[in-house]
Amino acid sequence: MRDVAIVGVGSTQFGRAQWSLLKMMCEASHEAIQDASLGDRKIDAVFVANMGSARNNRMAGLASALVDRMNLYPAAAETIENGPASGASAFKMGFLGVASGFYDVVLVCGGERMREVNNLEATEFVSFLSHRYAEYVYGVTLPGLAALFARMYMERYGVTNEHLAMVAIKNHANGLLNRKAHIRDSITMEGILTGPDAINNNPWVSEPLRFYDCCPVSDGSSALILAPANLAKELCRKPVRVAGIGQGTDTHAVHERPDPTELTAVRIASQKAFHMAGLTPQDIGVAELHDAFTILEIAESEEAGFFPKGEGHKALERGETQINGRLPINPSGGLKARGHPVGNTGVSQLVELSLQLRGDAGKYQVPSRPKHGFTVNFGGFGNNVIATVLSEGV
Amino acid sequence: MIDELEAMLRPPVLEMAPYPPKSIVLANGQTMVVRQASIDEVDAMLRIIQPVTWLNRDFYDIVSARLFAELLGWKKYRVRNEYCLVGTVNGELAGIVNGRMFDEQHGVSYHTLALKRGVRVGAHLFAAKMEHHIEYLKQDEVWIVAESPIGHRRWMIEYPLQTKFEVQHELGGAPSWVLTRDTYFKAKPRLVTGTRPVPPELLATSYPIREPDLQTMLVQIEDTLEARI
Amino acid sequence: MARNIEAAKCVQCGKLHYPTHFYCPSCKGTKFQGVAIEGEGTLVTWTRSHVLPLDYSTMYITLGIVQMDMGVKVMGQLDVGTPQTGMRLRSRIGKVREIQGSDIKGLVFTAI
Repeated sequence: MRDVAIVGVGSTQFGRAQWSLLKMMCEASHEAIQDASLGDRKIDAVFVANMGSARNNRMAGLASALVDRMNLYPAAAETIENGPASGASAFKMGFLGVASGFYDVVLVCGGERMREVNNLEATEFVSFLSHRYAEYVYGVTLPGLAALFARMYMERYGVTNEHLAMVAIKNHANGLLNRKAHIRDSITMEGILTGPDAINNNPWVSEPLRFYDCCPVSDGSSALILAPANLAKELCRKPVRVAGIGQGTDTHAVHERPDPTELTAVRIASQKAFHMAGLTPQDIGVAELHDAFTILEIAESEEAGFFPKGEGHKALERGETQINGRLPINPSGGLKARGHPVGNTGVSQLVELSLQLRGDAGKYQVPSRPKHGFTVNFGGFGNNVIATVLSEGV
Repeated sequence: MIDELEAMLRPPVLEMAPYPPKSIVLANGQTMVVRQASIDEVDAMLRIIQPVTWLNRDFYDIVSARLFAELLGWKKYRVRNEYCLVGTVNGELAGIVNGRMFDEQHGVSYHTLALKRGVRVGAHLFAAKMEHHIEYLKQDEVWIVAESPIGHRRWMIEYPLQTKFEVQHELGGAPSWVLTRDTYFKAKPRLVTGTRPVPPELLATSYPIREPDLQTMLVQIEDTLEARI
Repeated sequence: MARNIEAAKCVQCGKLHYPTHFYCPSCKGTKFQGVAIEGEGTLVTWTRSHVLPLDYSTMYITLGIVQMDMGVKVMGQLDVGTPQTGMRLRSRIGKVREIQGSDIKGLVFTAI
């Protein structure tokens, strides 16, 4: 296998799209192509990540449409749907294409436009991820599954609603620094939890999770260009190497797991990614984790190996995951504030991580200038997870 | 002097107890003052609402256009027993709610318009409106209809309201739902918050009503930050 | 009479599982015997879900994961005022949802 590098990144503003899904994807792809200074070099293949275009936007075959709209023929094109892990899945396929020598230059583009339907329809469409007859029929939504998980976790490890609120406050504060973030508003502990008006500011979504424990419904597109390491220097001033990718799966129904508080797929994916990279969690200086719900940032930080099981919330208390802490988590604002266009999220996490490793993250640049970064892209409710390790330079 | 014809057109009004102002700390830590607005503040509000009447998003156009007309009707004495409550943050108008007394016992809820979106301004102000009808105007029940799915979810389901389909709501659309004293006091601990009295210096910040930056307001309304997966 | 909700017992190795799989999770057997999910169990975790799919018009539904005495864990709706982790529950089959006008039956739990 050849070494593979990210040689260009791009992203739209997250939030509510002003334009069609395809135009958003063109914008992000264009930014990535410009960033990569491809010159006359052709893109060999396009991998598009999306979860709901057929339902929400009445569009299918997005990759072919993107090739057409951007005049990239005769590039190969595939659309990849892997739930909320679609983004990292498309990235993985692109990586395999380049690593194997089958392609040289690959465009990976994630795009999701969920705000074309109302928020209840968006919640409903994401809940299709649950097990059809053992979960979905009972009316469970993703926040519902996260809540069932959160209560077990909180009761076992002493995690409180304050801890969950601390994740939200941290990520909102980070999002305030990211001009492309969906939510750019700070929140306070008094306002969302401890003050007398908090009960109405921050209502239950699914107990014990409140409104500010859940990520927003966002539109957004992100893109990146992959190339073999030996080409990377030519195409990019600051290439970022794809050091490791790992993937794990788990039971579809959350209740079927022997211990439903274990996110086994996160653990397996992380171990595989670290093994491939020849690194350990101690080598990582920045992480973008899949905080679709605040509890997940804490649980994933443990399963990935950054903190012992049941102690992620203590590291959070000590401020270790702040942007200037020992291991900054979600300096971009995470899914909580940057936004969660479901199928795109994996790509946007990798774009953010690349910016951090290049030192191009601007106001939310992690000051320690980390050499290695890590992402978790969490599909379903933890039944299909992809972890990635990126390293500075080639 | 009001001439004879005007006196006929101008309906007599019931005496209405004032709504004592309160303050609410929002999720972002900002403080919203909720207080009653007076007729001389109507023009200021109309100027702010007017651009929203063209915003075809989540029923903002219909709600703001009807609110515009109701406030104008109040100012020109064509709607009787009307009241209006406003929420202001740093003096800027964050939201408006209005309604009226149908008679001593029955109240009619008109509209709820959140101009600052994503921090539950609408939910807080609707709660204040119910508080006004039941606790200060001392009414037995409030008739309510929703014009948007968000409203239906918020009021009919969250409170929860009962149906009162035998009453045609004055807004002329769907038949009425009703908030009774009993439902109100059950929902109060969960939905009605705020602190009284408001310190005079804080209350002073809400006079006169200032307009929020138009572009920021329109973008916020379009963005509907409130949606969650 | 409402149809049972069934777990599957592998004919080859006896492993009981729910929901069902094409291959047995322990021995890859493909023949199973249905076992009714019924009786009593213990509440593992629960939630009151307030943001609901479009077809619900109630304020919330209460959902839980229950460890059944008969051997499998299941998700079900709780018909319980104040649920508590660890409480004992009894299952029945009841209406849990309406999808496009038809009633969907599923597991509903009440306190013992």
